[in-house]
Amino acid sequence: MTLPLGRGLKIRSMVHMAAEPIPNFWPMRTFIHHNPLHGLEDLPFPDAVEQGEALFHGRGFLPRADYQRLLAEGRLDRDTIEERVAEALAERPALQEIGGQDLLCTLLTERREPVVTKRTVADVHDVAGALQGRPPSDQAPMDVETLADRLRGCFPAERPLYEALDLLFDTRIGETLDELLIKTCLDFFDEGQSAWKMPGREQGLFTAWSALARRNLRLFLRGLHIKRILVQSETPEGIIAYILDELGIPEDVWQDLIVRELTHMHGWAGFIRWRSTASRYYWSEEYPADLVDFLAIRLVLALALIREHARRQKMPGNRAELEALITERPAECYLRHELFTGGVLPTHAEAVEDVVARGRPAEVAAVLARYLPAKRRAEGERQALALDDLAQLAGAPSTFRELDEERLATVLDELAAFEKREGMLWLEAMEATYRRSMLGKLRLTPPEPREKRPFAQMLFCIDVRSERIRRQLETIGDYQTYGIAGFFGVPVSLIALGKGSEDHLCPVVVTPKNLVLEVATGAEKIDTDLYSSAEHLLHDLKHSVLSPYFTVEAIGLLFGFDMIGKTVAPSAYNRWRHKIESGKPSTRLMVDKLTREQADSVVRALQRVIIVRAIHQEFGIERESITDAMIRELREAAMENHVGQTAFARDFALSESAESKFIRTLQDDYRINRSYAQMQLERLGRIGFSLDEQTYFVAQALRSIGLTEQFSRFVILTGHGSQSDNNPYESALDCGACGGSHGLVSARVLAHMGNKPEVRRRLREQGIDIPDDAWFLPAFHNTTSDEIRLHDLDLLPASHLVYLERLRNGLRAAMRRTAAERLQTLEPETDPTLDAVKAARRIQRNTVDWTQVRPEWGLARNAGFIIGRRHLTEATDLAGRTFLQSYDYRVDPKGRLLESILTGPLVVGQWINMEHYFSAVDNEHYGSGSKAYHNVACRLGVITGNLSDLRTGLPSQTVLFDGLPYHDPIRLLTVIEAPFEHARTAIDGVSKVKSLVANGWVLCVILDPETGRLHRFVDGEWREEALPSADIEATDQPDAEEIPA
Amino acid sequence: MSGLLIILAAFFLPLFPASLVFNRLAAGIQNPLARLALFIVWPQIGVFLILWGDLAPAGPVLATWATLSAIFYAFRMLTVREVGRWAAMLASSAWPLVWLFAMQGPTEADLIAFTLAITAAPVLMLLVRDALARRLEAAYTGLHGGLARDLPRLSGVIVIATLAAMALPLFPGFFALLAVLGGATLGVAIGILLTWLLWSWAGARLLQATVFGPRSGPIAADLPVSTTWLVAGLVVVIVAAGLLWTGGAV
Repeated sequence: MTLPLGRGLKIRSMVHMAAEPIPNFWPMRTFIHHNPLHGLEDLPFPDAVEQGEALFHGRGFLPRADYQRLLAEGRLDRDTIEERVAEALAERPALQEIGGQDLLCTLLTERREPVVTKRTVADVHDVAGALQGRPPSDQAPMDVETLADRLRGCFPAERPLYEALDLLFDTRIGETLDELLIKTCLDFFDEGQSAWKMPGREQGLFTAWSALARRNLRLFLRGLHIKRILVQSETPEGIIAYILDELGIPEDVWQDLIVRELTHMHGWAGFIRWRSTASRYYWSEEYPADLVDFLAIRLVLALALIREHARRQKMPGNRAELEALITERPAECYLRHELFTGGVLPTHAEAVEDVVARGRPAEVAAVLARYLPAKRRAEGERQALALDDLAQLAGAPSTFRELDEERLATVLDELAAFEKREGMLWLEAMEATYRRSMLGKLRLTPPEPREKRPFAQMLFCIDVRSERIRRQLETIGDYQTYGIAGFFGVPVSLIALGKGSEDHLCPVVVTPKNLVLEVATGAEKIDTDLYSSAEHLLHDLKHSVLSPYFTVEAIGLLFGFDMIGKTVAPSAYNRWRHKIESGKPSTRLMVDKLTREQADSVVRALQRVIIVRAIHQEFGIERESITDAMIRELREAAMENHVGQTAFARDFALSESAESKFIRTLQDDYRINRSYAQMQLERLGRIGFSLDEQTYFVAQALRSIGLTEQFSRFVILTGHGSQSDNNPYESALDCGACGGSHGLVSARVLAHMGNKPEVRRRLREQGIDIPDDAWFLPAFHNTTSDEIRLHDLDLLPASHLVYLERLRNGLRAAMRRTAAERLQTLEPETDPTLDAVKAARRIQRNTVDWTQVRPEWGLARNAGFIIGRRHLTEATDLAGRTFLQSYDYRVDPKGRLLESILTGPLVVGQWINMEHYFSAVDNEHYGSGSKAYHNVACRLGVITGNLSDLRTGLPSQTVLFDGLPYHDPIRLLTVIEAPFEHARTAIDGVSKVKSLVANGWVLCVILDPETGRLHRFVDGEWREEALPSADIEATDQPDAEEIPA
Repeated sequence: MSGLLIILAAFFLPLFPASLVFNRLAAGIQNPLARLALFIVWPQIGVFLILWGDLAPAGPVLATWATLSAIFYAFRMLTVREVGRWAAMLASSAWPLVWLFAMQGPTEADLIAFTLAITAAPVLMLLVRDALARRLEAAYTGLHGGLARDLPRLSGVIVIATLAAMALPLFPGFFALLAVLGGATLGVAIGILLTWLLWSWAGARLLQATVFGPRSGPIAADLPVSTTWLVAGLVVVIVAAGLLWTGGAV
């Protein structure tokens, strides 16, 4: 069957549209925090949560019992609950009449389960009867035609047919289908984990899978005749159209059905969606795949499974047959549906199971005649019991018994509507508690201007984990700290030492233009030592197909020693390993733009090296036997700039044909040719930043944080990252602003730019006068241990070396104090008076302990985002819950810097916040479950057990503690310190942020320093409010250094 | 006369299709104590009957019949969801093994002890059934899962009883199976091992549908601490009795 082009395109666009709500999934090597409901962000938060529940079956709020526990712990504001209940009551007159305020507050705070129970056959008459103690009716609540209609309603056309079969026949086709599809994904998307690769991957997912599936004996023996389906069309679009027609799905619901199919495995679908649009992603360039392929394979397998079941077990094979079945045997279908959806009355389950197994119509009718009245009675009684229980708890036992049926029906409707929206009420109460506490800690009055410059100025990432160490540094010494997005505003694409691919070190919403190359300084010998060779050999043995069988016998004991060392004494063992392992050599970054001549020279140099290797490879001739002139001439010949015999051919007596052959080899195999050289030149053209760009980025970074004067001797740019062992989620703990990588490279890049005299000269012209003795020094903040390590010290001027020890002392002290503070959160049973040195040692252990499932809390409990000057939060303990972005509105009169902060850092912060929110409220659906069951799949993600959807979101160990939320699931409270109009204009100027604020994905507060007033965005408008009061702890002014003349 | 006794015994140490009688009875009796009594007394009647009869003439036929009955009911355990019926199927699968053991010529006391040993697990499952039915209206697996989170004590009891049903080491069923395997022919031994495998599979499915997984179903009270201790004591007694029997102390 050949599909008309138009129809094929229509299907492709349907798939594209259907994938819109599915969030992208990035490979976990660079974990990107994202909002699982990113595709629904154009909706108001409560509506998106509701739609998310329908699409992904995930809960959008915590269960009521969890909120009640938080309320008991004082993490929820009771006043807000009462206020919100009163507001809800205003729209519910029937509840008002029966003392709704007490009733609803009691319902929320004292009853764990919803009061409105599920009723499928009982009506309000049954509930009223049960409340008033009337004997239940023995009448069947409905006839079989009504049952049939209800069943049809359960299985709309857009619902996959196999789901209907699973619910009517307990077939588990959906489960089998998922398993088969996951196996295909694991085979195709493997990125180097498997020893044996799937053949034909370069032809694309659908083509490669089709070729294998046609001759897959295992599928054939299971009765799945894949081949018969695949012959219908060559293209995935054609196959999709054929299958949907075969199943009898009306074309107007195809789109909805595709949404259901894709969201069913949203992890793999999200990965494929990202992968198909990723630029310069090696694996997608080599092995292309898209969601059309994915859907086509899913539908082929589904149809094959349905046909196999239909043939073997006499089940419906398409929608028409399903319709006929429901029409002909509605009673049996109803009982089957009750049994296999778990809705059956437990007391009747056995009888129902027996009767549907036998399938005799008379017996089915008899059981149904007993079942329906019993169900009606049970539902009525259950509802009455719940209402009575609530009334008892509220201290008015007869509240519901006195209502007539009409009023009772209204009350039940109003209660159901209230419970449906109660999640928002809890959420707002929780947010109110945090808002009051956080705003109350802010200090509006700026301190007196400093007379002396600080000993060091340190720029940290806005990450919540920087807050603790910044506070400790400021407490113990003369340090001034700033918060800036961890990529320091410089989008960089890095080719790291020894790697051939690019890593984007910037938020994923930004695409870097400039490339930075990491090159070894050559200071260390890079010879492969014996240990490294042995390690590579072991690795190869482990990953080949047959060798593990004898490797285990022969050298398995070595792994045993390794295991014991890592388990029993991880710190000591790791130190020993470090001594014998060769570390990373010292490197430099190519940050400056190459001129055309420089780039040409680099290409020539590379080509010469390659020619020397080629001569050695092809003829066994050593370097000392050839001259530079010969090499140059060969290069020219390969580049077609030289005609005639070369000196090389002459000296080594090569015939004309042998010489021509060698030149062709150089051109084809060693890529010494014009087109490749041109490509290399273009690539080199991307390397580095021009002087203008460097000046712009340094100025932008300094202005955005308000650091334009009083520069210290040390301006330390602190990138951050995490270090842990045996942790696939390590990059989730790295810098989100650096695309899930370490932030050190970004720090080194900006430091290189900032130290450049020509850049400083230009900055001076722009009014930023950096004194000659100020040195930009890159550093790395390890967030697992809180250690701060200084980098590129070999470039440090001699004049600064004398201050180095003081600097290191201060950093070490701050690290220990922070570790002592954090240890209490990781191990609450620890003695709070534990010595800081011992605490630091215990924290340090987490970086190398492979048994540790929670090396650090990471960004858990993040709740606030403060954009403003440091004096707002200085000396205030924000408990590592707040992103701190330095910003001084006085140096940003047009609000452009604020707009760029809102566009980048705030959006990234919101993604992080929402990732944590949803992972905490429903860890199974939006999070990734427990790490204990995770296995790395394809080197790109994790799955639970040996087969599951790709697990997106965060593991339970990141957001839960003992099964209960450690992370407070609340929306990000953003505080902007700026004049009201200035901030509001900036928000309105960034449409994405405006939409996030308007739809309630981010809560926004503007703190006007000029009026001292607070403006909060509530219910679609800005409202002026008073600042909550709180005691602010006073701090000592740190010692200061003199500002140089 | 001996043949008649053997046919009669086939009802009490149930061999298919005579086993239908026991299963009907087990399903029909609603009183928990009466059901417990049925499970304990019923096979012992069979034991006394075969002690009086002579199994030798019908040995190979009986061995095949008993093995197939054991496999058949072990397989049925995979499809049954009501815990009481599951216990009855377990008993119907375990008790045919008494025939196989009896053919190896054990002493009267050993045969009685063997029967008690393989009856212990179904009896424990009956206790579980009643505890579940009291809390969740019916002991029907798959309707209310993830009990481990809300009902840890009851879940613990379910796990212990199921491990006993899977005839894991320390439980008397394990030693009883070792005893019968020791004297079995190759074909019968394969049949017994297959039965054992099916018990384990069915046990794992039962645990999956009750104890593990996400919590679903109504809020229910956990087993009282005192009852938990009582059940624990009972389990200790059963284990100790099994060890004493296999250790030759009785």
